[in-house]
Amino acid sequence: MENSNVFTLAGVSYVIQNTPILTGITLDIRSGEHWALMGPSGAGKSTLLRLFNSLISPTSGAIRFHGQPLESTDVGRLRKRVGMLFQEAVLVNGSVRDNLTLPRQWVRPVPEYAEEQLTEALERVGLTPGHLTTQARSLSGGEKQRVALARVLLNEPEVLLLDEPTASLDPPLARKILRLIADLQRELNLTVIRVSHHPDLVRSFAGQVLFLDKGRIVEQGPIVLLDQPRTQDFSRFLREAQA
Amino acid sequence: MTQSFYSLSWTDVFASMVLVLFSIGLLRWWKIGLEKTLIIGTLRTFVQLSAMGYILTYFFGQRHWLFMVGLVSLMILVASYEGYRRQKTALHIPHYFIIITGVLTLTVILVLGSVLTFILHVQPWYYPYAMIPIAGMIIGNALNTTSLTVNRFVGELEHREAEIDMLLSLGAPPRAAIHDAIRESVKAALLPTVNSMMMVGLVQLPGVMTGQILSGIDPLIAVRYQIMIMYMWVTASTMTNILVLALVYRQFFTPRQQLRCDLLRRS
Ligand SMILES: Nc1ncnc2c1ncn2[C@@H]1O[C@H](COP(=O)(O)OP(=O)(O)OP(=O)(O)O)[C@@H](O)[C@H]1O
Ligand SMILES: [Mg+2]
Repeated sequence: MENSNVFTLAGVSYVIQNTPILTGITLDIRSGEHWALMGPSGAGKSTLLRLFNSLISPTSGAIRFHGQPLESTDVGRLRKRVGMLFQEAVLVNGSVRDNLTLPRQWVRPVPEYAEEQLTEALERVGLTPGHLTTQARSLSGGEKQRVALARVLLNEPEVLLLDEPTASLDPPLARKILRLIADLQRELNLTVIRVSHHPDLVRSFAGQVLFLDKGRIVEQGPIVLLDQPRTQDFSRFLREAQA
Repeated sequence: MTQSFYSLSWTDVFASMVLVLFSIGLLRWWKIGLEKTLIIGTLRTFVQLSAMGYILTYFFGQRHWLFMVGLVSLMILVASYEGYRRQKTALHIPHYFIIITGVLTLTVILVLGSVLTFILHVQPWYYPYAMIPIAGMIIGNALNTTSLTVNRFVGELEHREAEIDMLLSLGAPPRAAIHDAIRESVKAALLPTVNSMMMVGLVQLPGVMTGQILSGIDPLIAVRYQIMIMYMWVTASTMTNILVLALVYRQFFTPRQQLRCDLLRRS
């Protein structure tokens, strides 16, 4: 069963300019799980997320990816296998097609995408092939986020890191995108690690929850923790988030 | 040809100061408050250029290649230090001083070397009349544009942090992730030079050429030199800018291809 762990974190700490941001994070993430990272602003959620695809490295402690130390993986390949969506979708200037085919330019020789791969990727996130020629900057916030999702999925990741990609969207649209991600997760057997502030959105889609405060894990476990928090901090956080 | 058209004596130079007095009068009249600075500037122009004249006369009397190489090296070191000091952010860029010194040296060897040997056919190659002014021109211009580029580049990195993180997270190599930042900074730094190539001769003559023509040199000769200088100039700037950024951008990434945020923002 050891092998079904996608990520294993053992005593991971991250310190920046002598300030501890994350302290003693120990955590197992298994294949196909959907984790919700919760916690007050500044708790270190984004920082934790960035550790998973080596956008930053831990100051101490060890992260393993499929049992292999993260530091010894090829970082380019790792980042393709562990895709990330940010709070604000960042698209480059140019058309939607330019954005979707962006990661191709970094591979030599430049691989050819079959046209249907692009249209399929767009349809998967609820856009139409007609969007391929649209200028990225003329898209709405929700459409941008979908294009970013389609772009990440074209890398065929096995893990998806989501840093509140729906925070800037209105609730119905946010729910729609999260449903999409939940469907994709089942379809592609993705492991999802997602930062979220909304207990409702966590309850609907996540299977596991982790509550972070001041850089430390306060609670972690199955989603039922949302209804039976073991600590005062978490229950207060949930009460305030609900209100 | 060496006979000056209009011989300009030191007395004549003093007379030209009267022109500045006139400006000072105007500034006073409108209470602009720049008179003192202008007076200092006027005196410094006089002192620095006269001193330079004497120093050049001394250097032009030297005839040993080692002396010339030493002099050009000193010019490079002084320029690199000046560039290093002038950088608002440079103190945080690791190896920055070594980078500019190295790149300036390489540029001088390549550009000055080819101008002296293949273009001007100077014999011997270290003939001071050619070497010193050309080296000064290359180093000075390269230094100015490099300061612009590097400042701009750091600004671009700060501004594009989210974009760079996004590109890295998709698996982009650092070089691809900062490509737009490099393009924008090089463009911004080279544009004035390239624009001056567009405009040169249309309205205004470059200062050097005006001086040459006044001192009696055939305009057709002066023009040829100016054309060569412009080409040399743009090449030296392009080379230094691109090479410096090619080395500088690497300092902003860890071996794990992570953007070093600790080098940004602190400026
Ligand atoms: N590069 C950095 N330099 C300095 N401090 C940083 C840096 N990155 C993060 N921090 C600090 O680390 C702490 C955690 O940041 P992080 O972005 O992980 O929080 P978060 O839980 O995602 O918060 P939010 O919910 O507001 O997004 C914050 O106090 C932040 O100021
Ligand atoms: Mg965050």
